[in-house]
Amino acid sequence: MSQPVARIGPPRRFAIDVPAVVNLVGTLAKYLGLAAVFPIPFALWYGETPLPFIVAGAVTTGLGLVLERATAGAAARVGVREGFLVVALTWLLAAAFASIPYLFEGGEQLSSPLDAYFEGMSGFTTTGASVVTDFDEINRSLGIWRQFTQWLGGMGIIVLAIAVLPRLRVGGRQLMESELPGPEIAQLSERIRSTARKLWVLYVGLTVLQTLMLATLGWAGIDDAMTPYQALAHAFSTMPTGGFSTQARSAEGFSAEAQWILAFFMLVAGANFALMYRGLIRRRLHVFARDEEFQLYIVLAVIASAAVAAMLWGYEIAEGEEAVRTGFFQTVSIMSTTGMASADFALWPAVLLLALFALMFVGGSAGSTGGSIKVVRHLLLGKVLRREIDQTLSPEVVMPIRLNGSPVDERTVRAIAAFVLLYVGAWAIGASAIAIDSAITGAGLGTLDSLATSATALGNVGPAFGPAGPMGSFAELGDASKLTMIGLMWVGRLEIVPVVVLLTRHYWRL
Amino acid sequence: MKVFLIGAGQVGTTIVEALHEDHELTVLDTEASRLQAIAGRFDVMTYEGDGTSRKDLAAAGVGSADLVIACTSRDEVNLVAGMFARREATGATTVIRTSNVEYVELWRAGQLDVDFVVSSELETAYAISRIIGVPAARQTDVFAEGQVQLGEFDAEEGASADVIGVALRHAKIPADSKIAAIIRGSETILPGGDDEIRIGDRIVVIGSPDAAKAWSSLLWPEGGTVRDVVIFGAGRVGSAIARVLLEQGISVRMIDASREQARRAAEAFPKARVYNATGFDPDFLERERIGHSQAGIFAMRDDAKNQYAASLAQVHGIQFTIAIAHEAVSVAAFEQAGIDVSVNPRGVTAEEIVRFAHDPRMQQVAMLEDNRYEVLDVTTRESSRYIGMAFRDMPVHGSLIGAIVRNGQAIFPHGDDVLEAGDRVIIFTEAANAPWVVEAL
Repeated sequence: MSQPVARIGPPRRFAIDVPAVVNLVGTLAKYLGLAAVFPIPFALWYGETPLPFIVAGAVTTGLGLVLERATAGAAARVGVREGFLVVALTWLLAAAFASIPYLFEGGEQLSSPLDAYFEGMSGFTTTGASVVTDFDEINRSLGIWRQFTQWLGGMGIIVLAIAVLPRLRVGGRQLMESELPGPEIAQLSERIRSTARKLWVLYVGLTVLQTLMLATLGWAGIDDAMTPYQALAHAFSTMPTGGFSTQARSAEGFSAEAQWILAFFMLVAGANFALMYRGLIRRRLHVFARDEEFQLYIVLAVIASAAVAAMLWGYEIAEGEEAVRTGFFQTVSIMSTTGMASADFALWPAVLLLALFALMFVGGSAGSTGGSIKVVRHLLLGKVLRREIDQTLSPEVVMPIRLNGSPVDERTVRAIAAFVLLYVGAWAIGASAIAIDSAITGAGLGTLDSLATSATALGNVGPAFGPAGPMGSFAELGDASKLTMIGLMWVGRLEIVPVVVLLTRHYWRL
Repeated sequence: MKVFLIGAGQVGTTIVEALHEDHELTVLDTEASRLQAIAGRFDVMTYEGDGTSRKDLAAAGVGSADLVIACTSRDEVNLVAGMFARREATGATTVIRTSNVEYVELWRAGQLDVDFVVSSELETAYAISRIIGVPAARQTDVFAEGQVQLGEFDAEEGASADVIGVALRHAKIPADSKIAAIIRGSETILPGGDDEIRIGDRIVVIGSPDAAKAWSSLLWPEGGTVRDVVIFGAGRVGSAIARVLLEQGISVRMIDASREQARRAAEAFPKARVYNATGFDPDFLERERIGHSQAGIFAMRDDAKNQYAASLAQVHGIQFTIAIAHEAVSVAAFEQAGIDVSVNPRGVTAEEIVRFAHDPRMQQVAMLEDNRYEVLDVTTRESSRYIGMAFRDMPVHGSLIGAIVRNGQAIFPHGDDVLEAGDRVIIFTEAANAPWVVEAL
């Protein structure tokens, strides 16, 4: 009679299933490559070469197929652990994909791989920070590609994949939550696919609406600069709170009406899409009145706009309707982390710059396409501070933090506090790196410029101050600064934690 | 009436005590020892069985009952027993006891297939809310949808000279109220114009809610209106009290030693200030100025803790203390310790349930002084010999009419008023006389 032998395998060093990660990233890349089809009709219509897009699509889809084949035997589903790595890698890959056409067609200014990658990352993360200085070099098809990458990144590549791909082997909601902006507070009670679909339906709908409204201005002769092409290009930039423009002077050249429309949709893009779905599509308008974050978002936008408008008038930079419009446009643009400009605010007095700088840390709402810290985190953190002060006096008092009347889990509250600390930490490190590099290379960034450059990249806003203002570019920055900004944009879009998790030892090893 | 009782615990025993003389009772319980204790004291049928078993219920004869009361300490047993009884005894009234306010809400919404749901916690909370409305009262109850209020007061030092030591015909008695009884030691006086209230007396007043408040401030001039209370214990009883008081706009602070219960209370009541503390820490009591609250309600699970916390709170300056006495014996101990009012949740529940067993003409009954006295709400019959009689001519037989409700309107009768057929009479009587009183009216 033989003793059954216990089979003890060899020691396993990795805590994560790398082949499954690579396999899923491959699948995502395979489909992502199809996005390059979009600008091809534009290229053909305007008589430009479609080659850069064909190459970008082929390379990306090809790479995806190779990765998929190479890991054919991998686990069919990724776990929570693997999700972080999938999201992080997918976004690095997406930026590379976006940069391929720039290398071909972008001219001298985008010929360096670092610059092209910067532009690609800036697009997909909806930052809108640019190294482009000569917009004549960017042809129509490349221009629409540059705008389109923002639009894809706005609601999230993975959210899109979950929404439209037939049999995407995505495990839990972890993947989607890593990508959706804002803390996860209310439990989504629906299947993730139907949530993802609803978000994208609303996103597409609003983009179409904005395009039509802008194009109507052009057709009606109100704004001759607003051709259908420009209408689409700027809707692609507004709804994802991106900020890229096809114009060297951003939105400055458009009519007052066009600027009002742009500003309104920037405000919309910074609101919670799930809330808007319930309020607009389901016709339950009261949800807006009951949502604390929405209320605070609107109140902040109104107060900040009024303050900026008043200062513009006071400094005699603008007056009347122009002051109100510019104040509203610039406030909403920075606060929602879009970063489009209707005036060169880099030339404004320091007080106004500080106001805009502060707005860079506000951000949009949770579940919007905006970046930065976000209104709900400020709201909850404010409540935590109030409780802390109360508990200094009465340590025994029990005060649950509430949002819209319901208590918020203490773990979520802690996670928000940790996020804000990490955010400030990342911003400080980034600002230091940029300031040091600027001093070495002589890029000419002042103190506030360095701080703003780090904040604008991390918050996915776009423009900074000084030479990197809304009408300038980041082209003059040193390579180290650009690399830092690429990292900040990436980390900021994924809301830091999924990336920081990758840096811990226990993520990789048992 | 045939009454079928499921559960022979404290509530069940109190109900049996109140009903055994006039009704035919069957008591069902899973524990033989409890049944023996009841059978030893009262002449009732007992049946050892499970309230959640339809077989046991049928075998015990639930089918012939007119009233089925499920009053075990477990909600689920009461619910299931109530549902089964509904099927077995189609004509019977079913009453279930619950400690979960959610079931009361479901029942009100018509989602529970029983006739009445009585919650110990809610009844306790209502009782406390009435007491707080009339802070000088030892006990209060309401009749006729709140138009008539009953109050039992102690005349203590400091009470107004308007009513103390003066012949009642000269005393400034609040309008729309009547002194139903003066209890002096073991003696009960149904007062006439020559009687007077003395310090140390306990009086029973029937009157309008405003009159009850007026009595409260006469007997306890510095009592005032309670706007601010502190509740010790945030469990089910404490939370039910907090809910009822908050609804009345009274500001509430709660203290609970359990972190979990404190958290749950804080989540449930955004307007209340909740502390996670034992309530026995003098530093805490001092720092949070707990003594500044106008009233302290002690609703912890342990009677001994309630008593100690109440005494401690009094030391820290709380003027008015109300304590929950889970055990009936604690009521006397609390009184001895100087606690102003004691509420026994099981007693309150039993009292509420007993109301369903009375004569259909009888709307309500309140029990006073450990069931020595009752206040009844009875509708008069055509055949009653008191119809058409002026109140001044009515004989005094150990009972006294405090108010009548005519066409839905409360009237506090004077000597010349005449009793009419169909009047609802709120009448104070010694418990022993209650059947005779009902018969006579």
